[in-house]
Amino acid sequence: MNIKYLFALLLSLYCISASAQPSTQSEAKAAIHGASNLWAQAKSAGHEWSTIKPLIAQAKKALEAKEYATAVHLAEQASAHSQQALIQAEHEKINWVNSLPK
Amino acid sequence: MKNFLNILIICASFAFINTVSATPEQDKETFQKFYTERFPNISKEDFGNGVYALDQDAREQWEAMSDFPPYEDSLEEGEELFNTPFKNGESYASCFKNEGENIRQNYPKFDEERNTVITLELAINECRIKNGETALPYLKGDIAKLSAYMAYTSEGSLINIKAPKGEKALAAYQAGKQYYYSKRGQLNFSCANCHTEKAGRKARSEMLSPALGHPTHFPVYRLKWANLGTLHRRFTACDKQVRAVPHAGQSESYKNLEYFVTYMSNGLPINGPASRK
Repeated sequence: MNIKYLFALLLSLYCISASAQPSTQSEAKAAIHGASNLWAQAKSAGHEWSTIKPLIAQAKKALEAKEYATAVHLAEQASAHSQQALIQAEHEKINWVNSLPK
Repeated sequence: MKNFLNILIICASFAFINTVSATPEQDKETFQKFYTERFPNISKEDFGNGVYALDQDAREQWEAMSDFPPYEDSLEEGEELFNTPFKNGESYASCFKNEGENIRQNYPKFDEERNTVITLELAINECRIKNGETALPYLKGDIAKLSAYMAYTSEGSLINIKAPKGEKALAAYQAGKQYYYSKRGQLNFSCANCHTEKAGRKARSEMLSPALGHPTHFPVYRLKWANLGTLHRRFTACDKQVRAVPHAGQSESYKNLEYFVTYMSNGLPINGPASRK
């Protein structure tokens, strides 16, 4: 095998293994903290989704169980739901009138 | 061409402003007309029977069940509770006009001084507190039984909510209206999506009831609940169904929503309590 190809293959394997490194405790904590902030914003906008609280609770459980990657994944999901809830709140401030009977 | 476009934009803007800033009376006209035009064979008062006004098969089963209504015991308990004096010797009758009989049709009402909507259930609890009793939980139990009895004494009386006047009442009405038409929850549904736009159509196996007539028959005995529940309990269930976090019973949001939906059903007869799936 050409040495260049071998080198490229090893480099790719290194990159993959580096990116698949397990999340740390601090990353999980930061993800949960971020998710909790967005959740509070969705609440105060009056458009809290019922899916958010259980996701954050599950993320906290995963953190306690030292399953950091799972905790990050769940917290990111909770953040995504909160962001969508905030978009919905903003959208409905104006667009609720589109549902009025004509 | 440019002039034509400008005129078109101006006309569209006027139409938009008109719909949003319509008076409550105009809203009610449009709202009721929407249902009577969509369901021309249904009399206005029959809308108080919900899906049973639209689905003959379901109506026959419901009428058969109504020979021995499942809420009968709760209604009797409600009457007993209503007539049982408080520890101080006073009664519920002392807190209401006409001694609490035949008044359901006048609730909710807007209290200008307190700047809030007063629902019947709120007035029941305020009566209890005034007489040294504790407040009852708002969604089910004794409050639903008391409210059911009071609704029963109003059977046939037409809903008679005063048109919101004044800045504060109009703000509460407008907030209720906006709640009704705003999409919420992960499923992105508004009350109007199901009960106005898609009324009479099916969501899975269930027919969606028209919003016109909703407040006439509460509290209801839902077979799903296996007991009586207030209108705010139903709001809570709807919010949960679209995966939104529900508000508390008698929260400002739900009181305003009740104010709006009840005013939309003005002129329909009270026929509560009732049973529903």
